Amino acid sequence: MSCYHLSRLLFDLKMDESCVKRALADFESVMKEYDLTEEEKAALRAGDPRKLRQLGVHGMLCLYIKRLQPEFRDNIYWQQK
Amino acid sequence: MPLVSALAASHAPNILLEPGAEWEDFMNLHYSMAPQGSATRPTLEQQKKLRKDAEDAFAVLRADMEQAKPDVLIVVANDQFVNFFWNNIPTFFVTIADEVKGQFTRHKFHYRNHKELGRAIVRAGMDKGIDLSFGEHIELQHTQNVPLYFLLPEPKIPILPFFVNTWVEPAPTPKRCYQVGELIREVATNSPERVAILATGGLSHFPGSPRIGEIDTQFDHKLLEVMRQGKGPSLADYSVEELLKAGDSEFLNWMVVVGTVGDARASYTSYMPDFVATGWGFVSWKLS
Repeated sequence: MSCYHLSRLLFDLKMDESCVKRALADFESVMKEYDLTEEEKAALRAGDPRKLRQLGVHGMLCLYIKRLQPEFRDNIYWQQK
Repeated sequence: MPLVSALAASHAPNILLEPGAEWEDFMNLHYSMAPQGSATRPTLEQQKKLRKDAEDAFAVLRADMEQAKPDVLIVVANDQFVNFFWNNIPTFFVTIADEVKGQFTRHKFHYRNHKELGRAIVRAGMDKGIDLSFGEHIELQHTQNVPLYFLLPEPKIPILPFFVNTWVEPAPTPKRCYQVGELIREVATNSPERVAILATGGLSHFPGSPRIGEIDTQFDHKLLEVMRQGKGPSLADYSVEELLKAGDSEFLNWMVVVGTVGDARASYTSYMPDFVATGWGFVSWKLS
């Protein structure tokens, strides 16, 4: 089954700074903007890139869930693409 | 005019990140996908040596390219979900823009884009049954910026970003990439300008995978030896699966450049596994 919408959210966390800001403020609201299953929402809430990969997301996108976690918020990796 | 210079170089982000805190950030993030990779985490001294070795390799490539006095540099690289997403993944994409920009941490990149050469490649491809995608806007990303930082830090000549799908399946075959290289060589030969070409990426690594940290150095050394021997055409016989198994999907970018040089012998090769994720490889073919 396609995980297009789940992947799209993670792509937006990579490419769209306004999406990141909104997600940091209210991730539940941002998730509602995408057509996600309950399993996908649970994986996003868990914040584990390995779980996202198991749902079919490309590994290069999985990492971007980490942008929302305090210990990775200032990671230099987000300052390049 | 025949192609004047051909190069290939890794584009791993940690080549351009500063040893120390920036490398630690990079490693902490990637080891969240593959915790076992942390076992080989390089020390600060190892990080500094790797950076120095990469700078030395890039210096050779840059000197070879500058000696060839190119008018334009074609940059063959893959996207990684910056310009392309699952709504459209082009197998090959030629940039037909006036200019191209990008940023890597504090480093900004801004080049004129040689859209006339891009159009000529697309046209020639159509005439020969190789249909290439094209578009007027792309953002430069680490796959171009890391090597360009060392090879073309000042935008003295225009570039032409050329994308190959190496990062999602199904990817093109090495043979097809070689044929695209032959096409580019023909266009360059018919051009009045001095054309140089650079492939980026690789060598062995497993980005975004639980296998991060594994580097198939044996396979990488075999590829480099074949290029030193001038037997590049034989590399077109590899299957995509063989490259993927070795973590060398981005060698498809290199295969385009191998197609432009044919059986020319690589005049310089250098290789260093970074203990983090990637076998860094550097090659130059002196053609003029």
